[in-house]
This record gives sequence, structure tokens and C-alpha cells, in this order.
Amino acid sequence: MLRRLRYWIESARRSEALREEMELHLAEKAAELQADGMTAERARAEARRRFGNVGLKHEESREIWMTRFWSELGQDIRYGCRTMTANKAFSALAVLSLALGIGANTTIYSFMESILLRSLPVADPESLVVLNWHSRPPRDGSKESVHVMHAVQGMAWPGDKGAMVSGMFPYGAFETLREENPVFSTLFGYFNGLNRNLAVRGQATNASTEYVTGEYFRGLAVSPAAGRLIDSEDDRSGAAPVAVISFATSQQRFGGPSSAIGQPVLVDNVPFTVIGVAPPEFFGVDPAAAPDLYLPLHTNLLVDGARAARMYPDGNYYWIEMMGRLRPGVSMAQAQAALAPRFHQWVAATATTDGERAKLPALMLNPGAAGLGSLRRQYSKPLYVLLTMVGLILAIACVNIANLLLARAAARRREMAVRLSLGAGRLRVVRQLLTESVMLASLGGALGVLFAIWGVRSQALLLSNGQQNFTLHAELNWNVLGVTAALSVVCGLLFGLTPAIQSTRPDVMPALKNGRGGGPRRRAQHVLVVAQIAISFLILVAAGLFVRTLTKLHSVQLGYARENILLFSLNARQAGHRDPEIAIFYADLRKRFESIPGVSSATLSQSSIINAGRAGQAIRGPMKIGAVTIEDARVLAAGPRFLTTMQIPILAGREIDDRDQPGSRPVAVISEELARTYFENENPVGRRITLPDEKRDLEIVGVSANLRYGGLKNEEESAMTVFVAVSQFSPDRMTYALRTAGDPLRFVQSVHEIVREADSRIPVTNVVTQAAEIDRTISRELTFAKLCTGFAVLALLTACVGLYGTVSYNVARQVGEIGIRMALGAQRGAVVWMVLRRVLLLAAVGLAISVPAALSASQLVKSFLFETQPNDPGTLALAGVVLLSAAILAGYAPARRASRIDPLAALRHE
Amino acid sequence: MGRKPQKNDSLPGSLDMLILRTLSRRDLHGYGIVQLIQQSSDNELLVEEGSLYPALQRLELNGWIDGVWGVTSNNRRARIYKITAAGRKQLAVETRKYAKLTLAIARVMGAE
Repeated sequence: MLRRLRYWIESARRSEALREEMELHLAEKAAELQADGMTAERARAEARRRFGNVGLKHEESREIWMTRFWSELGQDIRYGCRTMTANKAFSALAVLSLALGIGANTTIYSFMESILLRSLPVADPESLVVLNWHSRPPRDGSKESVHVMHAVQGMAWPGDKGAMVSGMFPYGAFETLREENPVFSTLFGYFNGLNRNLAVRGQATNASTEYVTGEYFRGLAVSPAAGRLIDSEDDRSGAAPVAVISFATSQQRFGGPSSAIGQPVLVDNVPFTVIGVAPPEFFGVDPAAAPDLYLPLHTNLLVDGARAARMYPDGNYYWIEMMGRLRPGVSMAQAQAALAPRFHQWVAATATTDGERAKLPALMLNPGAAGLGSLRRQYSKPLYVLLTMVGLILAIACVNIANLLLARAAARRREMAVRLSLGAGRLRVVRQLLTESVMLASLGGALGVLFAIWGVRSQALLLSNGQQNFTLHAELNWNVLGVTAALSVVCGLLFGLTPAIQSTRPDVMPALKNGRGGGPRRRAQHVLVVAQIAISFLILVAAGLFVRTLTKLHSVQLGYARENILLFSLNARQAGHRDPEIAIFYADLRKRFESIPGVSSATLSQSSIINAGRAGQAIRGPMKIGAVTIEDARVLAAGPRFLTTMQIPILAGREIDDRDQPGSRPVAVISEELARTYFENENPVGRRITLPDEKRDLEIVGVSANLRYGGLKNEEESAMTVFVAVSQFSPDRMTYALRTAGDPLRFVQSVHEIVREADSRIPVTNVVTQAAEIDRTISRELTFAKLCTGFAVLALLTACVGLYGTVSYNVARQVGEIGIRMALGAQRGAVVWMVLRRVLLLAAVGLAISVPAALSASQLVKSFLFETQPNDPGTLALAGVVLLSAAILAGYAPARRASRIDPLAALRHE
Repeated sequence: MGRKPQKNDSLPGSLDMLILRTLSRRDLHGYGIVQLIQQSSDNELLVEEGSLYPALQRLELNGWIDGVWGVTSNNRRARIYKITAAGRKQLAVETRKYAKLTLAIARVMGAE
């Protein structure tokens, strides 16, 4: 086989050699004959005569190495090209619908590949394992938190059977497992240092930070792009503070890796020295994050101060995450068996009550080749849903083409019959037809890749939705392209097979006689149309559910202004500002922002309202009014003019303003719901409310209208809100809000200038309009609604084309019958109805199959819906109506054509 | 002109054997093979010259002979074929088969 292939590749050269050999043969023969006494001319002719047909023999010899398969394939492809150009409209339609289907699949698959399948760009990623633990949920049954995990800094997520899974460990566990580890060659730890203020030569920006232990880079087997990486000597309390920066940061801030080495930088106003630059492809261990800055673990003592110092000795404080590199020859199961008892022993010693001992965390190793799983947890389910939808769309496209091919097979019946009766093997004809369909599919695939290039770009935009540090990098690599190519070929075979087999049925004689009839083909066509309608309905229902979810989310009453507000965040504390000066600094800035022409009011708060309770330090717990405990009120620390800027009506008293200073009497503004619930008809202004932290007493100075506190999807949030004066607390990060005339983003430049003037060490972060900030929290719903609407339109169009084609074909076949009916007095309306009745019947059968399927399939997307039942009858009905109308529309044109048939002409034709 | 020499088409596949046998004596180019077969059969066998080349291609593809560019006795560039080890084995197999076949035919003819 290999030799064949080589011969085939060298075909042209061999062919030339063969010709030369034959020429030589003829020449020698002629020379011999001439020597026997013939004239030169006669000798040449005689030599040629005796040799036989030179061209044929050449061709025969070539065939020895060309083999029939390849030459026939060449024939088929040439023939296919001719057929395709002869039916331009059909080919274009088929290629286009396939291209859309394949393009959509390639796009979604490339995202799956990047999230679910790709390995970390480090040496031998297969030997990395992530350390996790799982335990029974901390709050089962009783409300008390009885778990050895008393304090956390990090993430936990639900595992199997309601268990809690996490990657956070106390520092003591890390130290214990690191000692004399028989299964890991290295065990290293790290934890998210969040965003820090990174000042280089007086210019500050926001830098995402990762704290890493001394073994981190060695364990990952990463070598620096410049300088050296953090090692164990750097990771001790008291060691000189050093930093490793990412390759991108070195380029943006220092103009290249080599010029960054040895440079002093300030991280949250603490001096560090840059000792190295990570390689360009390295992004840490979490594909969801790409740290700009790597700091030795123990430097958090310098940066975070007292809070960090508590974390190391506390065996119930869970924060450090770990990965290990297996020693050669050790399997993950062996490592698990070796380490689990050790961890159990250690963690058992940290439990103090029986309740805690009952639900001790158990160590669990997971493969670490692809890094941490946060992206996978976040995106895998949505991606599977999307993949299913695009898969269905491709299925519709394939069915559609199969249908069109069937219709076309009718036109080619005579051709096939002639070929078969002339002795062409049936397999040979099927092969030729399949070659044609695979060619169509390949063209579709090639065009689909172009669609996918565009798709990946716009999809990334849609998914990231303006998020900063969005690290999802889907690309069309060889893996993805290979899958696309395979998909195209499979599609070609799938949609080509039925028509090919159908049209080569050996009932040659009737076909030769009249070229009509063909019951099985019609049945096949009907089955295909029904399948298309059923699949379209599924996609329509999904789109309907997602659009409905989005409408529900958009109709949530905010109670505050969404448009014409610019948000941005500042963190003066990270730049070195301290109490009490920091409050004055923030207050001064607010006044300056308010003086920008076009800004009608400016305010500040600890976070935007939509993110309240999720960002920054939240004040939680029961509050008190006198002796009455308030259970579910939320606190938002806000600055002067907050209600005015957010356009929240003031119902009584006043809002928080400049009079509320750090030293003055602490005040609060409460929402109407809270006032009505706890003060009934009394006027709350002048009364007192006690906060849970430090038991602070606040005087109520005003009542606001109700507003939606926190995210849109959070169904438990109450409308009870307490606004406190931000200056009377001491939060770190501030979110400013400017109410602007016209497009808020026009004022970004002025904001930057004002902040730079006030303190150039403070970067302005998270600049966004209020509308975009709100949409960000529902980005998945937005994406789904937009994509699925597009998918639904695509599916509906394709299905309609299929239906139209089928009905047209049927009408063409029934010309005679319709002619007779009309000659016998059938009205036009009756003819239209006759045709449409079949369309409706097909649609009804499709729906009958699809409704139960939709009911059960929609349960799978339940978690993506908001205030919408998966079996929402309105959506189902609407999808049904849309589908039926589309079907009638597609069927009406051919039906009308049927009613215009001239009976005389039709009968003469017969 | 005399008697017409016999064309070699009575026994299918025997052309391959003849070529292998000829090449086992001497490395030759295409025309040389034709000549040698004719000579050694006392002009009894006349190879259909055109069929020689497909046969050569087939033999080469099977790895029984090997063609390389060389120079003929009258100094012309030509592909000179030589038999390979596998070719010799194949020749032995075919010779045995041929002997059996001719013996069988001879018996049939003798019984008449």
C-alpha cells in the first residue's frame, strides 16, 4: 500500500520514464529492421506495428501503479464538479446551509476544546494532580455551622450527592503533606492574591496577583523568559521581597523582559524587586485567570498585614491551594491511597466537637493536566447545551440536503437507469453519488471554517461581555480543524447515503419507461421533512425559553436608574492612603467629579448596587431596632447624593450628604419596605437602628423608595435596605457613579485626568456604564437568548426550504391528477387545500413527535431559566404557532402554483 | 518468412515467468529482454512487445525486479532491470507450477 502511494505520488515522473523506455524500444527495433534492409521509414512503421497500441500500453502500464481506485476517484470528482456547476442554485444552497451548520459546530467545539481539553503549557502536564477535599455540606439539618472549616478565603463548589468540594486547605495541611512525600516529586501551593495596585516608576495600574510557594515554578517545570523564578529561599518570612511578572506585563510596563529585571516596583505601596519574567505562554495553573504578578506566599505578611499573619497558624482557616507532581511510575490512585490517611490524621486533630468530627473533609486527588477546573465548572454545561443546539442545526441541514438530493434523484432517474442498464455496478454508481455529496460537504466545511473564524471572534466577545482579564482563548488549531474535516465527511456520507441507495434501486425497467412513480422515495422524503420539523420545534422552544428568561430578567424592577450612569472603581488604600485622611480624599474626589461639565451629580458607594453583597466587605447579620431583630435587611455603604444620582425617590427626611463626616453622628437611610414593616404607620425619621458589627447605633435620617439590592437572579433578596454613610465606615475600594448628560463613556477621559491629578498612584479600574454592569451579571442569559434566536431563525429557514422543496416536487408529480380534478370541476380553493392539507399533516406529525421530546429535553436547561418553567405552555404554544405559520407559508407558494394549473395543458402533458 | 512464430498467450502469467527467467541470466533493458526471449526460444516464442511494459511495471511494483537507469551496449540511456531476491523466489515458485502444469498437459495429451 505504501509503495502504491509512493508510486502514485511519483506518478508524473514514472510516466515520463515509461515513455522514454518505449521510445527506446521502438528506436532499437527500427534500427534492427533497418539493418535487415528496410528503409528507415518503413522500419519505423513496422516497429510501431509490431509493438501494438503505444498509448494504450502506456495507459495500461500506468494503471498498474495508479490503481483503479484513484483514477476512478478522479473521474468521479470531475463528474461531480460538472454536476455541481450544472445545478448552481442547488449546490449553493446546500453548501451554504452546510457551511452555517459546520461553522457553528466548529465555533462551539473550538471553545470546548480550549476549555475542556487543552493542557497547561508546562512540561509533562499529565503528571500534575490537584489536591481537593470533599465533605458533607457544612449546614445539613441544623443551622449551626459545624465544620472544621471556620474561616475561608477561596471557593467551594457542590460535588456529587450534595457534598461540598473545595481546593482550599489550612497552611498546616500543606506543611504536613510536603514533608517526606513518597508520591510527589514536588508539592506546591498558591492562592489568589486578587487585584493589587502595581506601581512602576510612579505609574500605577491594577495587577491580578498570585501568591505562590517556593516550589511553585519548580513543580510546574517552568523556565523563565528572563531573570530567575521564585524559589524556596524567597518564600520565608523576612526574606527580601521579590516578584515575578508575566511576560505581557514586562512588555507593557517595562518595554521587554530583560529590562524588567532588578527594577523596583510598589505592590499596594510595599516595595518589591522584579527578579524574573514568566514565559509568554504561561498563565499559572488556572485557565480562568492570567496573573500579572507572582509573589512569594509569605510576602502577604507584608502586603496584607495582620490579616495574613492569622492565616498561617490557624488550622481551621482554609485558604491555600495545592498541586503536586507525581513521581515517575506513581499513579494518581496510589498517591491518593498514600496521602488520604495522612491528611485525615492531620485534619482530625483540628476538630474540636463531635459535629465537626462527623463531617471531616476527605482528601481527593484530581487530574491537574488541564489546570484548575473553575472554567470547566462554569462553562461546560452551557457549552454542552450550545453544542447540542448546533448539532441539531447541522442535523437539519443534513436532512435538508438529503431531501433536496432525493428530489434531484428523481430528475436523475433516467440517467441512473441508463447507467445501470449499460452495466455500471450499483456500488460503483453509489460511490460516485457519495463522492458528489462528500464534495458538497467538503466545500461546506471549508466555507464553514471561514464562518467559524468570524464566529469564534464574535462568540468570545459575547461570552466575555466586556469582562476584564477574560482569558478564554479559543482558536482554530489543528485539533479543531481535524474534527471539522471529519465532521464534513461524515455529514456528506450521512446525507448522501439514503438518496444514493434510493436512486440506484434496481427497478430499472419502470424508470426507463416513464420516469415517474417511486413510492419509497416519497415516503423517505416525508420522513425527512417530519424530522426537520421536529428538530426545528426543539430549537424554537429552546430559543423561546431563553428569550422569555431574558425578558423576565429585563423586567425585574430595579428601583434605580439604569441609563446615563458611569461607574468606575478606585482603591486609595492600596496606594497608601490611611484613615482618617482616606475619607476626606474620597469626598474631595467626589466633589471634583461633580464639577465636570455635563455631570449632574456624582456619588460613591462600596460597590455598584447590582454587585452589592458580592464585592467588597459586606456588613451582614441581624440588625436591631430597639429590641426588635431585623432578619433580612441588607446594608450598603453610600456617599453623598447617592439617591439623587441613582434616581431613587426620597420619601421622607433627607439622603446622606456632606454633613455626614467621620466624626459626626452616624446616620442611616432605610427603604420603604423596611420602614413599613418595622415602623408601620409611624415616622421612622429620628429613630435608631443598631448594626451587627461593633453594635453601632445609627440615627435614621430618611426613607427611600424600594430598590433591587444585588443581582437580578437572586430571588431571596428582600427590598429591605439600609444605607449607611460610607465616610463613617472605612472601606477599601470605592465605586463612583456619575450621572451624565448623554453617553456616559464620553466622560471617561475627564475622570482619568482628575484621578491622575489627585494621586497618580491610583489606577481607575472597572470603568463601565451602569447598563453594561447590569448586563454583565446576566451575560449568560443574554448570550443564550441571542445565539438561540439566531439558531432558531436558521433552523426555521432551513426547514422551510426543505418543506418548500418537497411540496413543490409533489405538486410537480401530481400535475396530471390535479389536472383531472380541475377538469372534473374542482375549485381552486379545493386544490390549494389539498396541497396545504398534506403540509399541515406533515407539520402536525412533526409536532406530535417533538412536543414530548421538548418537554423532557427542556428539563435539562432548567438551571438556565429565570422565573420560567421548562414546560412553559405559552412558549410551547408560540413555538408551535410560529412553526405552523412557517410551514403554511412554505407550502402556500407551491399550492398556489398547483391551483393555477391549466387542466388542458396538464392532461396533454400526461 | 516461413512458419509464423507462436504468440505467447497460451498460458496466462507465463510472460512474468519468462521475464524473470531471462533477467536471472543477465540484467537487461526492455528491448533486450524481448530479444533474449526470442533468441533463447529459437524464435519460437514472440513476445508481444507492447505487453512487456505493463508486465515490467507489475513485476517492479511487486518488488520482484528493480529498474535503474543505465546505458545499453550501444550507449543509449535505458532502464536496466535486474531480478531481486524476492524475484528469484517467485521464479522458483512459478517454475515449479509450470513444470506441474506441463506435466499434466503432457499426460492428458499422451492419454489420447
